[in-house]
Amino acid sequence: MDRDFSQPQRESALGIIVMAVHTLIQVTKALFFFLVYAFIKMGGAYSRYALLGIGIVVLLCLIYAYFSYLKFTFFLDKDKQEFVVNKGIFNRDQIIIQLDKIQQVNINQSILQKIIGVYGLKIDTAGAKGEEVSIKAIDEVSAYNLKDHLLSSRLATTEHYPEDVAPDKPEGILKISSWTLFKVGLTSNYGKSLALITAFFLYVIQEARHIMEVFDIDKNIVKSTFLSFTTIFSLAIIVAVLLLAFLIFNIGRTFYKHFELEIIRHKHSLLLSSGLIAKKNTLISPNKVQLTRYSQNYFQKRLNMLNMSLKQAHFGGNKKGDEMQGNTLEIVGCNPPERDELLKMILGKVPLKGKTFIPDWRFLNLPVFFKLVLPIAIFLVIAFKIPELKPFIGFALLYFVIGFLMIFISYRKHRLSVNQEFVIKTSGIWDISNEILIPSKIQAITTSQYPWHRSIDVGHLCLHTAAGQISFKYGNFSEIKQLVNYWLYQVESGREDWM
Amino acid sequence: MLTENFTNEAIDISTLPKFEQVVLKKLHPDYWKIMCINLVLFFLPLAIGIALLLFFVDDFRPYIALMISAYAAIIVISTLLFYISFKKRGYALRTKDLIYKSGIISDSTTIVPLNRIQHIELNESIFSRMYHLGSLQIFTAGGHSGHLHISGIPIAEAKSIRDLLLQKLDLIHQPSTDPEALHG
Repeated sequence: MDRDFSQPQRESALGIIVMAVHTLIQVTKALFFFLVYAFIKMGGAYSRYALLGIGIVVLLCLIYAYFSYLKFTFFLDKDKQEFVVNKGIFNRDQIIIQLDKIQQVNINQSILQKIIGVYGLKIDTAGAKGEEVSIKAIDEVSAYNLKDHLLSSRLATTEHYPEDVAPDKPEGILKISSWTLFKVGLTSNYGKSLALITAFFLYVIQEARHIMEVFDIDKNIVKSTFLSFTTIFSLAIIVAVLLLAFLIFNIGRTFYKHFELEIIRHKHSLLLSSGLIAKKNTLISPNKVQLTRYSQNYFQKRLNMLNMSLKQAHFGGNKKGDEMQGNTLEIVGCNPPERDELLKMILGKVPLKGKTFIPDWRFLNLPVFFKLVLPIAIFLVIAFKIPELKPFIGFALLYFVIGFLMIFISYRKHRLSVNQEFVIKTSGIWDISNEILIPSKIQAITTSQYPWHRSIDVGHLCLHTAAGQISFKYGNFSEIKQLVNYWLYQVESGREDWM
Repeated sequence: MLTENFTNEAIDISTLPKFEQVVLKKLHPDYWKIMCINLVLFFLPLAIGIALLLFFVDDFRPYIALMISAYAAIIVISTLLFYISFKKRGYALRTKDLIYKSGIISDSTTIVPLNRIQHIELNESIFSRMYHLGSLQIFTAGGHSGHLHISGIPIAEAKSIRDLLLQKLDLIHQPSTDPEALHG
């Protein structure tokens, strides 16, 4: 079956259910604690009304879903190379997407969609406002059909890899096994997991306080139970348990996100699929990748694996953080040959490091002062005033040594390497990352210098791209200026488009 | 592509046009007056607030000298910083890019190639209209940090820069046009 989507059409009728449940979940999310509170305070007598209320809400959601299903139509305008979506119950909205502005097409399936047997399709564009379209219910054949139509009409994709490299037949590039994922979970993304856990705990504590108020629980009881817990288990065991829980959470998160991660090369695009419960398929065209990054830490080096991420353009700083992440594709646990294969796909060839620029030792000054000297000075002043803190003064020395070591490593790893085709920025303390940029993707360049560095010829550089910045600090300013002139020449004389 | 003719470029690298040697155009002197008006508008309500506080709340009376001298110090310092920042700003339009220099403590120079500009805005505030000045905003896809905001350009010049840039944008975004033909 090959449909051409030239006539306006609706989603799959099953989409009504998906829409309704989606709306219902959002309503419930917004009102969850209010509802819990209401139930507890009301008591059993009014439960009939409560059920009636829930019934009405469900009905309203269904009606809303039905109307938005009726009003949601889409079609493909072959002549103008546009994808047109009409929607809106009360006001008429029309979204027109030019096909060459499409950055990626996602075909996802949530649990509900899996049960019903439909797929969700999302189109990410690079429009000035970063608008996107999502079709909530479409059958599998149509989804892949539509995706092919959306991405096939691209003309200038052969620029980065010659025809003989791009096969007509889809070809698997890499597949990450569960064992590798386990190793990834053990070794990476500590920071993100920690942030997630902290956010979760803060949320739970805040909500627990609400609930305690509702149930009139005495705070002292909670406190004393907690304290008795801490005395039963010694502090060391608690720390060990927390660490273990953290690792398990990290592994779980890795599996949830990257389960069965697979990359398949199509003619003009890469298909990434992964996910444990909700399978996510993402199609991108390699020449829309703005920044390519790979990183590795000590453990990962030992295990011979690394993590990659492909960053695409994102627009407008006011977009929500998680949406921004949608434009970064992560490929975890690949080995060096697989990385090289991917780099070849995206950049045309494996980038070699060219001339390497290293920062001046003054790189150390500011971090050492603001992160080590100043806090320690403040701590010492306070510690000499308050006798209880005196036993901890030894820790200041430890803090200084560890801190200095970290800053020194970050200085040693801060490198910029340039040849005529690539810019590679190396940085990091534990996770050493390499960011690779093609000069034609540069949007603007900033150089800056403090007046007191003028005599010693030290300055900073920042390359702005559509997917973030690359900065190099405390470099030789004459060299930086020469590089800037060279990149400007490349960008301004080149006919290569950045998108 | 680039590799083929790179050997030529490698020799030419020192003869490439140098952005750091471009003579930058200073902002119009009247813009300093606008900055001063903005400073007054910021500090006047603050002064009134302090005066009212001193007048009505007796507890603050003993600190009158301290408060006034702190206030004066803040005014002097911020005026000085504004003046330094005014003096440091400069812009230049080359055939293929736009250069803008600014900074209070550090000197930072941002260069936007014309073929990377997304859109352009020309703003006139009430005060800048009084002095026939305008401010140009140049947006790229490089996000907030990669965008230029140049204030204090004489309005006629700002308009002609804008028209010139728009004209070039149109030419660049027509794929059939030979880029070299633009600058002939």
